[in-house]
Amino acid sequence: MNGQKSAQERMQARAPEMELIREAQSGSRAAFDALVRQYEHQVLRLALHLTGSEHDAEDIYQEAFLKAYRYIGNFRFECSFYTWIYRIVTNLCLDQLRRRKTRREDHAVIVDRSGDEIDLLASVSDDRSFSNPAKELDRKLLGEKIQTALDKLTPRERMVFELKHYQGLRLRTIGEMLNTTEETAKNTLFRATKKLRAQLAELR
Amino acid sequence: MNCELAHERIVAAAYGELPDEQMHELERHMAGCPDCNTEREQLLALKVLAGALPVEEPGANLVARARLRLDEALDALPPRRWYERLGQRITNNFASLQAAPVAACLLLVAGAGAGSLGGYEIAQNRTAHAAAAAQTSRVQPQPAQVTETGTPAPAEIANISSIVRQPNSQMVEVRYNQVVPQRLQGSLDDPAIRQLLMVASQNSASAGVRDDSVGLLAAECRAGRGCQAAGIRDALMVALRYDKNAGVREKALEGLEPYVAEDVRVRNAVLEALLNDGDPRIRTAAINILEPVEADTSVRQVLHTVANSDQNPHIRTVSREVLSRVPEIQ
Repeated sequence: MNGQKSAQERMQARAPEMELIREAQSGSRAAFDALVRQYEHQVLRLALHLTGSEHDAEDIYQEAFLKAYRYIGNFRFECSFYTWIYRIVTNLCLDQLRRRKTRREDHAVIVDRSGDEIDLLASVSDDRSFSNPAKELDRKLLGEKIQTALDKLTPRERMVFELKHYQGLRLRTIGEMLNTTEETAKNTLFRATKKLRAQLAELR
Repeated sequence: MNCELAHERIVAAAYGELPDEQMHELERHMAGCPDCNTEREQLLALKVLAGALPVEEPGANLVARARLRLDEALDALPPRRWYERLGQRITNNFASLQAAPVAACLLLVAGAGAGSLGGYEIAQNRTAHAAAAAQTSRVQPQPAQVTETGTPAPAEIANISSIVRQPNSQMVEVRYNQVVPQRLQGSLDDPAIRQLLMVASQNSASAGVRDDSVGLLAAECRAGRGCQAAGIRDALMVALRYDKNAGVREKALEGLEPYVAEDVRVRNAVLEALLNDGDPRIRTAAINILEPVEADTSVRQVLHTVANSDQNPHIRTVSREVLSRVPEIQ
């Protein structure tokens, strides 16, 4: 009963947005602009944190909303608009991360059945521990080290860790956004944390 | 439960993704497993460490810049035609149409009916127009041509080969090619001449012809003679944005100067030139043109960007000077 009620409330809360989407689908530029205003901060925040560059974030913003404008007619209300727009953005960010990724000759990467990249060497367990991290390290320097460690993840691992750890999304939503299952997203998150711990073990 | 599974569940639990029953099972395992406790500590430490790279809110400048660029790009897209939208809607609703074959049949019948009716209406209109045209040609004599040839339709023009203005007069001679070369002579305010100049400003393969035509159109705009938003002004904005020749872009910019305060589209085109034009002369000229509207928020934002990031030190200095003259908006 409660579940039904909350679903109904959610639908009611989403009604104005659905109306905007329908208007945008009928060609209303003003409705589309309103949707852009609603999501632009989240899109820029994600792109900025993932790429670390205002210029790249701006390009991703531009391309994502142009794509959304072009294909909004294909949106069929099967998922939330939030998930749909994030799916576009995450795909663009993944492309950007892949382009930027330098060749890693010292890493052995294979692709598993779900299409995820697995770094074989990084999945070897690391027995060093760091129970009291970063007490004396300058925060900025530490930030740079974290960034370097994040850059060593595969684009997909980086994306899942970003969406879970920094953006606080549910694994189920992350799976929907990345066109995969919740279980695969969970495994990818596990691999990402394992690699990060190995990368950051020196900071104990 | 083995330790490998426990490690996976520790990650899920740390991010609040472990169901209650599995959490209970994990706690039982942890109670007797020091290795898994270390694992959990390490994971929690990683979470603390990762916090050293905080998620920052995008700055107001970045948001404004991104919006401006997106608006420009959306403005440049051609509007979708009604039949494209209809097609997309039909595709979207295809499943429901499949489920309702009667509705599909009705749609087909209605379409056939509308088609027949439309065909009949068009045929009637054509007959009426032909009759009216015949009558007009009998009653009204053709106006005297100032020109050696009639006004060509743009589609008939292959290219513009030259533009010559007669000294101290309003007369301009535009040479253009159709299947055979043609020549049209007339005053600068002649709509046919203007139409040719606008075609020349965009389609000609010769930079010289574009330069001449944009120069003349810009002079007309500066003199305030018939520089309508939907006509010459548009042609100048296209030249400013897309012409490969810096001289042509510079002339277009000069022609747009009187309209930067009143027409926001002109202002946006000038701001775009200030941000993106590869020629420092044009960027400098754009700054000067923007002075009357320097208190405008979007202008200030672009000036800030240019003052901070333009590769040319002179332009950075000029932008800072302009900004320093404008009182800060609180």
